[in-house]
Amino acid sequence: MREDPKVQRQNENPPRKKKRNRAFNSSFQTTLSGYSFMAPALLVILLFTLAPIAYAFVMMFQKIDMLTMESTFVGLDNFRKVFTDPKFWAAFENTVTYVIVVVPTQTIIAMVLAALLNNKMKFNRTFLSIMFLPTLTSSSAMTLIFMWLFNNNGFVVNLLEDLTGERIQFLTNPDLALSVIMAMNIFSTVPHFMVVFLSGLQDIPESLYEAAAIDGANKVKQFLHITVPQLMPVTFYVVTMGLVGCFQIFDQAYIISNGSGGPQNSTLTFTLYIYQLAFNSNDMGRATALAFTLGLIIFTVTFIVNKVMKADEING
Amino acid sequence: MKKKLSLLFIMLFAALMLVACGGGSDDAEGGSAEGTTEESAEGGETITLAVWGSSPAETEGLEKTVQSFEEKTGHNVEIEVITDNFVDQITARFAANNAPDVFYLEAYVAPRFIESGVLLDITDDVPDQDDFFQPLLNAFKDDEGRLYAVPKDYSTLATYVNVDLLEEAGYTIDDVPADWEGLVEFSKELQEKLPEGVHAMIFDRTMARHLSAFYATGLNPETEDGKADFTSSEDTFAYLQSLVDGQDEGYIVNPQMDLGMDSAGAAFGSGKAVIMIEGNWVLSALHNEYPDVNYEILESPTVNGQKQTMIFTVGYAINKNTEKADAAIEFVNYMTGEGQQQWSELSGTLPTRQSVTDAMDIASNEDWTAHIEGANYGTPWTSGIYLPVISQAFDNNFQAALNGDMTVEEAMQAAEEEANAEIERQQ
Repeated sequence: MREDPKVQRQNENPPRKKKRNRAFNSSFQTTLSGYSFMAPALLVILLFTLAPIAYAFVMMFQKIDMLTMESTFVGLDNFRKVFTDPKFWAAFENTVTYVIVVVPTQTIIAMVLAALLNNKMKFNRTFLSIMFLPTLTSSSAMTLIFMWLFNNNGFVVNLLEDLTGERIQFLTNPDLALSVIMAMNIFSTVPHFMVVFLSGLQDIPESLYEAAAIDGANKVKQFLHITVPQLMPVTFYVVTMGLVGCFQIFDQAYIISNGSGGPQNSTLTFTLYIYQLAFNSNDMGRATALAFTLGLIIFTVTFIVNKVMKADEING
Repeated sequence: MKKKLSLLFIMLFAALMLVACGGGSDDAEGGSAEGTTEESAEGGETITLAVWGSSPAETEGLEKTVQSFEEKTGHNVEIEVITDNFVDQITARFAANNAPDVFYLEAYVAPRFIESGVLLDITDDVPDQDDFFQPLLNAFKDDEGRLYAVPKDYSTLATYVNVDLLEEAGYTIDDVPADWEGLVEFSKELQEKLPEGVHAMIFDRTMARHLSAFYATGLNPETEDGKADFTSSEDTFAYLQSLVDGQDEGYIVNPQMDLGMDSAGAAFGSGKAVIMIEGNWVLSALHNEYPDVNYEILESPTVNGQKQTMIFTVGYAINKNTEKADAAIEFVNYMTGEGQQQWSELSGTLPTRQSVTDAMDIASNEDWTAHIEGANYGTPWTSGIYLPVISQAFDNNFQAALNGDMTVEEAMQAAEEEANAEIERQQ
């Protein structure tokens, strides 16, 4: 506020005491008005995000009956139970596999598609609109469509049987059920990330490509050595958002297994297991302990990705 | 100017806070304030009733029956429809100390609610309890025989047979065996004579459909001391093996997974299966969407020589902390007593009282005969507080046996271990 010309002008003449008072008043008022600007958002965040988080911190050390809300302090017992639970490790394995497959795949496909669309091809607006449709579809509706495609009498299964003579059952086979959800997620998130990449591509100066072309770089080399590094900050955003989204995968797994995480725990994800603990097992303490663990995992992975990709250093 | 602006925002902020706080207190007190005005106006009380969304017929039945109750007693009933994940929502409402006065309670989750002590004990408040089909009433009792909810209607499993398809294959309805072992053999034989894409039998493979067969083959999956047991009966293994064999050879199929149909009723109605073991909820679909199907309904097959079927029932339970217990009890008694005939007729569900069943004379309707018979000997889909854990473990692991990854014995061993480990963690 020291730069404020009005305040400076006032500083020149009046007696000292009054000046300090005024300065105090004015800075207090600006702070207050600043906070009142933020008040609606702050209030919402406080009530619906921070307060529940704080409450969860209390709950994860307790054994809680959801119906009566009776609770007893059990220390770290919830965490012991979580880590000795084979279903936790099944969920861990599923979710990690899911992240490792989906995040790189969707990022790469989105980037390549964006680069292709960025070329001056015909009808690219039309393509963009059509390709964006999966993102607009709700994930529950999408899951139902995929279940229709992949059930044991579904389109894909029958098509594969006609082509190869082999009947592959997707939804009841524990080795394949998760891959259906993976395919679905990639299909629905790629367009969104593609649009993000597309906007990043517009910012890359044309001169870089011209210089590269003069040096004899072909299109592929230009893509690898100019587009990819220049897009790094955008890629970081896409990867982070992808990570968070994938670690929190819930609705698809819930619908495809009818809430059970089956067949044989193969579609049991972290969040689905949290849900089962809270509402099937009626054990809020263990559910919050697991939620906290998940939060920690997401935080760590994002931190590592941030370090590896050095997102803040590129391009300044 | 700037000062004025910031003042304006402070005022805005203050107003916002007031609105927010005002909203909060409004919620907390509005209900009771409304209640008192209703009371003085009509001499009755307002009770809240939480239900799940269901078919138009059931919605209409509920609204009309509730209306009759209101007219008779002067009480006021606020129906609250919870559209999704009913039990989760009710649980959350109890946690928030904001539970409805009366709500639907599925027998399956009843033990958990009873054990938690959140339900009102109504053992001495429900008249004429002998009139109810006893298996239905027992589903809502605790170990000491105290009653915590009153069954409002029920469904049972029965064997549906598509007579036309059966006759095309060269059989008549009298050839269909009344025992499970015979029915499996018959389905196997029948399958060979059916055209491509038609299956002999539809039978869901979740534990909810098979608990009564477990009992009949000498297995109690939730033991007295609250443990899971899937391995103590050879006969149960044999029973489960028959389901696995049926799936492998395509004569016992699951409508969703194997046929890609929305429901068993749709699969049966569109002629994809000759025999279906299902509950009476398929009847409305058969009547409305597939009126041309010529079917007959037999009782569920005997297993191990014993009559058995599954019963699915829902009751009215009362929140223990309600301030309007008397009105709530009056309401529940009306809905399951005097008003039951109106409800059953409008909603097309089966009445839980023998006297209403007789008064409506539905036992002579051939759609209902087999289903009503089942209410006398059937097993309600409920057990102890750990049934959700145990049945989830079963469903999860039995799929491994169906996939051929494990033998039935191995899968049941795994299910038992999984369930027991989880039960231990919950203690």
